Amino acid sequence: MAATAPDAGRVLDRLFDRIPAGTAADARLLDQRWTTIRFANSYIHQPHVERERSLTLRVGLDGRFGWATTTATDPAALDALVREATSMARVAPPEKKFPGFRRSDGPVRPVVFSRATAELRPEAAAEFVRRVIASADRASPGARVSGVLNVGDRRLRVRNTAGLDRADRRSLAQSSVLVERPERDPPVSGWTETADWDVRRMSPEALGREAAERVAPAAPRPVPPGEYRVLLGGSAVAEMMGILGYLGFSAQSFEEGWSCLRSKVGRRIGDARVHVVDDARDPASLPQALDWEGSRKRATPLIEHGIARGPVTDLVSAGRLGRGPTTGHALPGDVGPQPEHQVMAAGDASAEELIRETRRGILVTRFWYVRVVHPGHSTITGMTRDGTYLIERGEVVGPARNLRFTQSILETVAHVRLLGRERRRYSDERGSGAVTCPALVADRFHFTSATLF
Amino acid sequence: MEDLLRLGLRAALASGIVYADVRVYAPERSEHLSVRNGKAGALAHAVRSGVGVRVRTDRSWGFATTSDLAPRSVREAAALARRVARAAARSARGPLAVTSETGPSDGEYRSDVRTDPFDVPRERKMALLIEAERRLHVDPAVKSGIASFNAWSEEKWFASSEGASYRSRICHVGAGLSATAIRGTEVQRRSGPTSFGGDFHQAGWEFIEGLRLTETAERIGRESVGLLDAPTAPTGPTTVVLDSDQLALQVHESVGHAVELDRILAMEAGYAGTSWVGEKDLGQLTYGSPAMEVVADATEPGGLGSFGWDDEGVPARRVPIVHEGRLVGALSSRETARREGWERSGGAMRASSYDRTPLIRMTNVDLQPGELSFDELLEGVDEGIFLSTNRSWSIDDRRLNFQFGTEVGRRIVRGELGALLRNPIYSGMTPEFWRSLDAVGNRSTWHLWGVPNCGKGQPGQVARVGHGAPAGRFRAVQVRGG
Repeated sequence: MAATAPDAGRVLDRLFDRIPAGTAADARLLDQRWTTIRFANSYIHQPHVERERSLTLRVGLDGRFGWATTTATDPAALDALVREATSMARVAPPEKKFPGFRRSDGPVRPVVFSRATAELRPEAAAEFVRRVIASADRASPGARVSGVLNVGDRRLRVRNTAGLDRADRRSLAQSSVLVERPERDPPVSGWTETADWDVRRMSPEALGREAAERVAPAAPRPVPPGEYRVLLGGSAVAEMMGILGYLGFSAQSFEEGWSCLRSKVGRRIGDARVHVVDDARDPASLPQALDWEGSRKRATPLIEHGIARGPVTDLVSAGRLGRGPTTGHALPGDVGPQPEHQVMAAGDASAEELIRETRRGILVTRFWYVRVVHPGHSTITGMTRDGTYLIERGEVVGPARNLRFTQSILETVAHVRLLGRERRRYSDERGSGAVTCPALVADRFHFTSATLF
Repeated sequence: MEDLLRLGLRAALASGIVYADVRVYAPERSEHLSVRNGKAGALAHAVRSGVGVRVRTDRSWGFATTSDLAPRSVREAAALARRVARAAARSARGPLAVTSETGPSDGEYRSDVRTDPFDVPRERKMALLIEAERRLHVDPAVKSGIASFNAWSEEKWFASSEGASYRSRICHVGAGLSATAIRGTEVQRRSGPTSFGGDFHQAGWEFIEGLRLTETAERIGRESVGLLDAPTAPTGPTTVVLDSDQLALQVHESVGHAVELDRILAMEAGYAGTSWVGEKDLGQLTYGSPAMEVVADATEPGGLGSFGWDDEGVPARRVPIVHEGRLVGALSSRETARREGWERSGGAMRASSYDRTPLIRMTNVDLQPGELSFDELLEGVDEGIFLSTNRSWSIDDRRLNFQFGTEVGRRIVRGELGALLRNPIYSGMTPEFWRSLDAVGNRSTWHLWGVPNCGKGQPGQVARVGHGAPAGRFRAVQVRGG
């Protein structure tokens, strides 16, 4: 399979033919194919197949930039695209420190790609889900099984007026499974999730069985809010680190001065075992070769053996921050560059050792509805969900009702005691915000209230 | 477009397919302008077109979509919808049925727009944003100012195999300001007219002019700086008066989502969650105090949740949700209404675009106004706190345990508003909270807010919904300073 659609070059040729000589511009053509199979109440209720092409143009006029996007690529649509982006650029405030569009510094090859994943037929995706449901039902007969499988690919080609012309392709499979026993009072549930660039490396039987085996045999009991040692499962760690990516390492947070790390870069914020690199080329992540500007994705340390680093940048923010070349983190939209491929180093603790070392505390499978309370202090709040357990004397003694936490992420980073040896990939449904991380044990985690289930 | 609709329906209807509908968006436009600290945020214009084909067998749904309006691509989408529906049918647990509805025949709906926001010169829009953002910087402590404008227009054609068809043109606009003051690690934000992009309406440019952004900018900037030195909100149970914008969000999170029938029926269990409301609670449950009156009104002029027909062709309706504190209704679709044995859907199936399947979404879920003026609400408070403009929001997956932070609090002492308080947070459990509502503000305190960022579904959909809300007074609410 070619890195881009067969006609991608011709579409971009026709677009760049319309851009007046001397005008700076870059454009990206994105072709996406996705199949999403949602299931609930142990059957498929929302199957979805999606095909989309979009073309996004940025025009620069004397350092003023305007953006326009279209899903049509006929001559009239291309004319309108140039007209709209140019009109936007004319009214934009100037970007005085823009370093200019980059020339190509050599070809970039996709790191990994799975044709079997990109071309998985909808029938095969539905069969994958049927096997998940059957596996969960075997492990917990009569349980209510819900979740999703997302599978597909995206092909990106970026060209600019400085001569860069690059292509990348990504494949993705992502799934989550929830198994519930709603007949219990309060109900109990088990959860699992994973992501991979190759669907053949994901076992539907293992996913269904893992979620079902995490369903506690007893009803959850109330646990008083307070300060606890926590064992955070990988899903919870990934959610927390994803938010730290925005609060601490995004270019915008440094430009505008509200990064929780702005006075801590170069200083120790955690144990030397805490080591996080944003590395889109690491096969342990969900690899991606190019950013939205066609720049090569560069490995960027975020927490280097306990020392704060960052931020990540694109062309505009690198210019504004005076930080030299872009780190290759340009994204669509106006949130600015953020880490999208965090890879956290594993520790050496087994799952049993993590529980044993927690001694007395709370095991959290995943967080839910996490929001920022105070950006400067990296304080967030949210709920635990789908598997909260009490650990006493180094053993899981039973399920606990879900708890609300209000907690500084940086304080949790500072209080990490132990990291698991197993890592897993987590991402959203289209491969954004990927975090590869282990479970971990941390001290002084604040639960501020409890719910009824 | 009518030809494309017919082509899509013909291609979708084949052996085993008992129903099909086709939505064509041609086009859907958006414009986003923002100024951040005098520099450009994203200045972006987008035009998207595409087709979504939904089919039903007697046991399952199927949905497929394409951004290519060529007949060949539409036929392919229809074929994919059939294939995935048949594949899904193999997992079905029983027959799938929907309510009978009389859809529109050649219906037409258009937003009431005086000045098309896309016709207003961009120079004029940017001049407004640049000047308003500049005025936020009343003090060096204001480190970040943002002024933003958004507009969306959607030309949509719908047809179903039952003979329903309509065309709609809907236009949404909004704008807002935000100032962030920073001293040390203290970060304080103040926004207007409210947070997360401002206020939004189904209207034209005239709505933006009515927001008076430049006239309000300096006050917003001053309040962000004032919060740096304000005392932290006190901790403990107290009487809380919620401003209209915060009460709108409270309705959204702890009423609107909780009464979505797909959540109640566990169809969203794997992602958005379920609900503390059960099927047996409909018509029975005491949701709040007798002062609580909630409707879901898709006919409300100017609401982001207003339309002619939903994305199943069901006419816009006004559905009572809570009457005198008792739960009397829910947000529903044809399938979920049928499951409940209802004769008709509540008409709440909405898709964010052609490339997303319709889901049960909020329309305009409004808390109705009561009798008291704002001053009369305060008069009933010896000691309490007034909370305005959301800063953070979080609620559990059954919509019970919530914690909301607001940008600003003000002490209430003997019926009078006092000094600013920073970092206020209030929390509670949904039924106890709504049962503690003891007074609701009158029409003078009521405002129809536009919420442009309601997320739900996989793949994700962002819906624009409306919430009318007055100010409201709640007793014995747990408050603390963050």
